[in-house]
Amino acid sequence: MKRIFIDAAKCDGCKNCTLACMASHSDMTPRKGTLAEIRQAVYALDLTDPVNQSRNRIVTDGQGGYKPIFCRHCDVPDCAGTCMSGALEKNLENGLVEYHSDKCAACYMCVMNCRYGVPAISPDRKRVVKCDFCAHLEEGPACVRACPKKAIEVREV
Amino acid sequence: MERFVIIGAGAAGITAARTLRAFRSEDIITVISIDEHVHSRCMLHKFLGHERTIQGINFVDEDFFEKNNIFHISCQTVTRVDTEARTVHYGQDYSVPYDKLLIASGAGFFIPPIPHFREAPNVFGFRDLSDALKIDEAFAKGRRVFIVGSGLVGLDAASALCERGADVTIAEMAPRVMPLQTDDYAAGVYQKVFEDHGCRFLLGIGAADAVVDGEGNITEVILSTGEHVPCDFIIMAAGVRPRIQIALDSGIRAERAIEVDDHLRTSAPDVYAAGDCTGLSGVWPDAMAQGKAAAENMAGINTVYEKPYPFKNTSNFFGVTMLSVGRMDLTEGADVIVHKTPAEYKKAIITGGRLTGYLSLGDISNHGLYLHLIKNGIDVSDKKDRIFRLTFADFYGVNEKNGEYVYTV
Amino acid sequence: MNSCTDCLSRSTCASADKPMENYIRSLPLETAHHRVATQETKCGFGLQGVCCRLCANGPCRITPDAPRGICGASADTIVARNFLRAVAAGSGCYIHVVENTARQLKNTGLHRDKIRSEKALNHLAEILGVTGGDKYDLCVKVADAVLSDLYRPEYEGMELVEKLAYAPRVKKWKELGIMPGGAKGEVFNNVVKTSTNLSSDPVEMLMSCLRLGISTGLYGLQLTNLLNDVVLGDPVIRTAPVGMNVIDPDYINILITGHQHSLFTYIQDRLLDEDVVARAKAAGAKGFKLVGCTCVGQDLQLRGEHYTEIFDGHAGNNYISEAVLSCGAIDAVLSEFNCTLPGIETICDELKIKQICLDVVAKKANAEYIPFHYETRQADGDRIIDEIIAAYTARRGSVPMNLFTDHGNRNTLTGVSEGSLKAFLGGSWKPLIDLIVTGQIKGLAGVVGCSSVAYGHDTLTAELAKELIARDILVLTAGCSSGGLENIGLMTPEAAELAGPGLKAVCKTLGIPPVLNFGPCLAIGRLEIVATEIAEELGVDLPQLPLVLSAAQWLEEQALADGAFALALGLPLHLGVPPFITGSKLVTKVLTEDMVSLTGGRVIVDPDGKSAANQLEAIIEEKRKALNI
Repeated sequence: MKRIFIDAAKCDGCKNCTLACMASHSDMTPRKGTLAEIRQAVYALDLTDPVNQSRNRIVTDGQGGYKPIFCRHCDVPDCAGTCMSGALEKNLENGLVEYHSDKCAACYMCVMNCRYGVPAISPDRKRVVKCDFCAHLEEGPACVRACPKKAIEVREV
Repeated sequence: MERFVIIGAGAAGITAARTLRAFRSEDIITVISIDEHVHSRCMLHKFLGHERTIQGINFVDEDFFEKNNIFHISCQTVTRVDTEARTVHYGQDYSVPYDKLLIASGAGFFIPPIPHFREAPNVFGFRDLSDALKIDEAFAKGRRVFIVGSGLVGLDAASALCERGADVTIAEMAPRVMPLQTDDYAAGVYQKVFEDHGCRFLLGIGAADAVVDGEGNITEVILSTGEHVPCDFIIMAAGVRPRIQIALDSGIRAERAIEVDDHLRTSAPDVYAAGDCTGLSGVWPDAMAQGKAAAENMAGINTVYEKPYPFKNTSNFFGVTMLSVGRMDLTEGADVIVHKTPAEYKKAIITGGRLTGYLSLGDISNHGLYLHLIKNGIDVSDKKDRIFRLTFADFYGVNEKNGEYVYTV
Repeated sequence: MNSCTDCLSRSTCASADKPMENYIRSLPLETAHHRVATQETKCGFGLQGVCCRLCANGPCRITPDAPRGICGASADTIVARNFLRAVAAGSGCYIHVVENTARQLKNTGLHRDKIRSEKALNHLAEILGVTGGDKYDLCVKVADAVLSDLYRPEYEGMELVEKLAYAPRVKKWKELGIMPGGAKGEVFNNVVKTSTNLSSDPVEMLMSCLRLGISTGLYGLQLTNLLNDVVLGDPVIRTAPVGMNVIDPDYINILITGHQHSLFTYIQDRLLDEDVVARAKAAGAKGFKLVGCTCVGQDLQLRGEHYTEIFDGHAGNNYISEAVLSCGAIDAVLSEFNCTLPGIETICDELKIKQICLDVVAKKANAEYIPFHYETRQADGDRIIDEIIAAYTARRGSVPMNLFTDHGNRNTLTGVSEGSLKAFLGGSWKPLIDLIVTGQIKGLAGVVGCSSVAYGHDTLTAELAKELIARDILVLTAGCSSGGLENIGLMTPEAAELAGPGLKAVCKTLGIPPVLNFGPCLAIGRLEIVATEIAEELGVDLPQLPLVLSAAQWLEEQALADGAFALALGLPLHLGVPPFITGSKLVTKVLTEDMVSLTGGRVIVDPDGKSAANQLEAIIEEKRKALNI
């Protein structure tokens, strides 16, 4: 299975990964997920619309550095382990913690139980927003290609 | 080949079945449930509110049993377990043998000893799909609902019925709504939003008596104040009791709940218990965790079940979201820090440098770490000034081998 | 831009000029084309224009969680402020150019120096309503009229605006309250406006952009050309060689970069003097040659008729300069303005090319700065020549040659201007108007502005130009777009084959290409004179003409100031990439939609050549319909 690895020491807090994530899940969703497509989607992205949420976050660590908080698709995921609707499930084949919004009851057990604080709630309070590994993109997670420092990569674990 | 039997198809039972199948691909797994349909009781209000169908509140795939090759005996009540012969008796006169048994019979609603309440046919619980179906039927005949208790269950029922235009009255003994999860401010916010949707609250007031008709149905609730409140039916949401009848009838040790050790073993050999019937915790995630731990032990994987931390909940009524973890009621000798803006309300209770309670009303995104901090008693004494802005960045660590995060404290 | 999606897998970006792309990829030196890949990831906040670093609280960036900066500035304010800053800076660039050009004319007059076109002088004096004694006196008076307007305070209107601009436009500008004050004052005032915690009014700032556009266009563009015509000579239509084949290694070669052609007047003549040529010969060369690059090369090419001896031709646009230097046969770079890429510095060091800068605004880090002063031009000129000969002597033989002798072509049509084209048509625009009316030529498109590389070197410009001519739309170019299009042969008569049937027939009859080269970006001002004269002859206002503009590969702030002029003129303006505005719905809406009801113009953003051509063609069709043609 694959996991996104991030070298926090390389992070400059530019939030390009954040914008790429937002763009990847926006109305302008790139088809394949090439950098050029992502850039076009970024141009069109409404940065003042709360609907455009990022699934990753860059947070200051208070010591002049940045810490990228991205879903780990944990081996033993607390989010899926506490989901009461079956919306969150660990897919044992590809290793991803997958979210099925049609099942979700917006109880936010996952929000409470993810000890890393990854899941967010949608502005309409009807869904959860979390990393889907850009399953819709042939080229994989948009954040990876968007990082100018090449701090983000997908590795086999 | 081992034979596993699970009594109950709730969070604990289903998680146990899934876990057993993961470890034992060839063995025989049987689930016996009273319910016809697997359902999440946390989504009952969605069914009652006619937002979802029965299938819509199923928390597993429709073909869960077929896909996992699990026998599902539905609509059957277990009468007794013969722990000597290792047989589960159910229904009229059926039985199934087991090598390892899990009791995950859950908990049932509790009716306090108020005159007429225990006998009246129009007093319902709100625990299972069968309860919801009964309420649905009653609601077709009358829209005046009296709910006893304003905890999560009471409010779930109220929100569902409000959406359908019910005339809801909620009596709460405590002076505020959701007394276990809230403080006065948060309770006020919820009270307001429910009132805006047509609910009436009677706070600090209990039901003392009732007026019944010829069939024993309660037509009026008489409050502790003496006031009469006319109603068409009543929903009891004043607490639950672990279902222990099976244990009692089978010689398995149980008092308030079925007794289990740290491997979730009962007093009977190869009989385990998990979920609400153990009385260890009453929340969904813990029931899942217990189902998983018990199943691992049943499969021969030695798993110690850590005592759960039961003080945790989230709620989402009419889009007002709240997260409440820890003991909001214990504030003696504690630092209580409050942050209030028009859009959000947060409260942290810090005792001896450790977070013991945390409440957040508003956008609760990314709040998961507060449960972890409270549950694990992590020292936050140097972080008090930014207690509401803590993120995992404050405890950031990465397992370089597999890329998972780890807490650095 | 879609045309360069495969950049990641290559070490250089794509170019419309395939032989050049291959040449650059094989270079042992790093160029901008190589650096595209390393800068491929763009900052999304920057792209949208919602990063503000006007104060120490910043940089602030707009996100759904943070819809305002710390000061409270909204996305609209931040975007408008950044945009106006860019337009003001761009305006400042062109105003600097016209100021120096006017000073040059004045000095020419004062020193009774060589005047190459008295016709141009009289024409200009007539437009400006200036009279004087002899031609030298007239030079001084014309220059003073221009300079005094530039130096006027911002709160005083400039006097020449109404003389330079088309009357219906002046009326519109007065209605909108955007008649510019002193051109330098406008730049100053608007820079102040965009400073920390000053204006937060996005609409007012956008109107200021238009005002800056007017002063930039009328003075920086139109007047610079007309002033230069006097000193440097009128453009004459001719064919000329273009591309790297123009470089003759037997000469001491000087690459010129910039926009202020008049600063070279003295030296380009001096290099032909016998004593100087003798020195070149003594050093082992046949003499001196100027090699054109960037807009100043385009200007020299435009007036090439007068400089056949010293000027061999234009090598290419701004993003070719590094490649040109890499060929080994260039001995010095003389620069006076942009686009002098910092990237040439390492190449010059490596190949021992002498860098001399004549204007401190374009001072390259490792260039020798020899400021141009009219009074000391002779001594300074000799010093520059000494340095260049020394560089030639030091480097030739020790630096490898990497010539690219078959690049480009030798029959590009150049020298097109409002004057020369009208003369070519028989002294009237009527023949062109007739062709438009009959539909043989559907309309006119100015494909102007810069060359950029981030999304492919000239790729969009070339694609768009080809698409337009195939739709029978005559393309007029000015700026580095000209350099790109001429090197790929679109300005040779043979390119007529690429045009649609109507335009092709016209080209074949007249022996002209379907893309007409007006030269440097300054000549955008000439295109606008053409447009104005046609509108005048038809008795309509500019927005009614079947004319569109595209700065497809706009690069710099100057292009935005030019663009603001286009909008003030009421013309549709296509851009390949948004000018960092999409973060503001308001600014985007004003520029792309509301502008139509304000001035008649609007911005159209489209990164794809074909669909952009479709959009522009549709606009032309619409305008034709409205004119009943």
